Amino acid sequence: MIEIRVRKILEARGGDFTLDVDLELQEGEFITLYGPSGSGKTSLLRSLAGLLTPDKGRISKGGKVWFDSKERVHMPPQKRNVGYVFQENALFPNMTVRGNLQFAQKKGAPPGLIEELIVDMDLHDLQDRYPDTLSGGQKQRASLARALAQQPDILLLDEPLAALDGVMRLKLQEYILSSHRKFKLTTLMVSHDLAEIIKLSDTTILLDKGRISKMGTPQQVFMGNKLSGKFQFTGTLLELEVQSVITVASVLIGNQIVKVAAHPTEVEGLSPGDKVVVASKAFNPVIYKIEEK
Amino acid sequence: MNKFRGHISTIESDGGLSLVTVIVPVDMELRCIVIDTPDSAPYLAAGREVEVLFKETEVVIGLEGTDGISLSNQIPCVVESLETGVLLSSLDLKCPSGRIRSIISTRSAGELGLKPGTAVRAMIKLNEIMLSPI
Repeated sequence: MIEIRVRKILEARGGDFTLDVDLELQEGEFITLYGPSGSGKTSLLRSLAGLLTPDKGRISKGGKVWFDSKERVHMPPQKRNVGYVFQENALFPNMTVRGNLQFAQKKGAPPGLIEELIVDMDLHDLQDRYPDTLSGGQKQRASLARALAQQPDILLLDEPLAALDGVMRLKLQEYILSSHRKFKLTTLMVSHDLAEIIKLSDTTILLDKGRISKMGTPQQVFMGNKLSGKFQFTGTLLELEVQSVITVASVLIGNQIVKVAAHPTEVEGLSPGDKVVVASKAFNPVIYKIEEK
Repeated sequence: MNKFRGHISTIESDGGLSLVTVIVPVDMELRCIVIDTPDSAPYLAAGREVEVLFKETEVVIGLEGTDGISLSNQIPCVVESLETGVLLSSLDLKCPSGRIRSIISTRSAGELGLKPGTAVRAMIKLNEIMLSPI
């Protein structure tokens, strides 16, 4: 179990607020943090990594104390065995991809680990290249491999996919999820993408102004009132078009736009940008194989 | 979305499917099928209060006295008002349990001669009805 109890006064554009979190996480879980910018998500990750010192509190993992303000314990980041991937890649520019991985490796690491990560992350063709010759997606893939080369127990991902396009995001999500499972990591990821959160996480934490406003499975957190509709997705409302007696809503789900025809009363109070659930009975959709041409 | 509150009266399950009957006051019985059973969805229990939802576009209109139709849910109503578009029309129907909205083609509305006061039957297939626990 990972115990995180931290208080920290944070400065934000809208005024100071207190990160005030009391959490117990199960090891091996995939946890996502969701919330408006400036709600303390990154500060929470940084406290866990040892890069930010809370004003008060206690952090422990499996009974081992990482931080305790009363006991004046503050374990340095390198001893916490935490891997960190940021939104902007932090690869060393003067080292190749392979060099970056080797540099991150700890003494006594299993001999085949780098090769294994190069295979897992499809870095074979990129291993001798320098970071500035890589695309955004390739850099993040290399950053993920470098974080894993440290053989962390906990993987912290701070919106690592935010700058990537839809297709690349989906691919990277697969790499993240398969590594999480393979290396039996406890993963904490900051994300603003509902589809991503629902796909990846066991537990979602909603942070608002430094406090946890909701926590549970993504379904519990986002679906609220559960319908018996099995054909259910979350998305972002893009547009409402009035077409005589019905209104057609365009909703972005993943990287696809779907349209929903609704009675005007059904879409009352909705405006573009709103997060919405699109649901239908499982009996309505048709399904067929896409024939290869 | 048409919404009513009622109580589950019976649940018949077979495999992973359940046929659920909901009684809505005053006098409406709605049947729906869901891919869930009392085991997978604990809210499926006799006596439980639920919300019953169905889209306006899934409500079929028949004139009174229409027989021999497979649709499980048939609710006697009276047309309260109708709003006519070029292709589609929106009907407000009154029944003892409240109001049901239906969107049908303007052509059908014309063929049936629907106008305020017409007695009709609102019909909904059982696979078009959603349940939501309260």
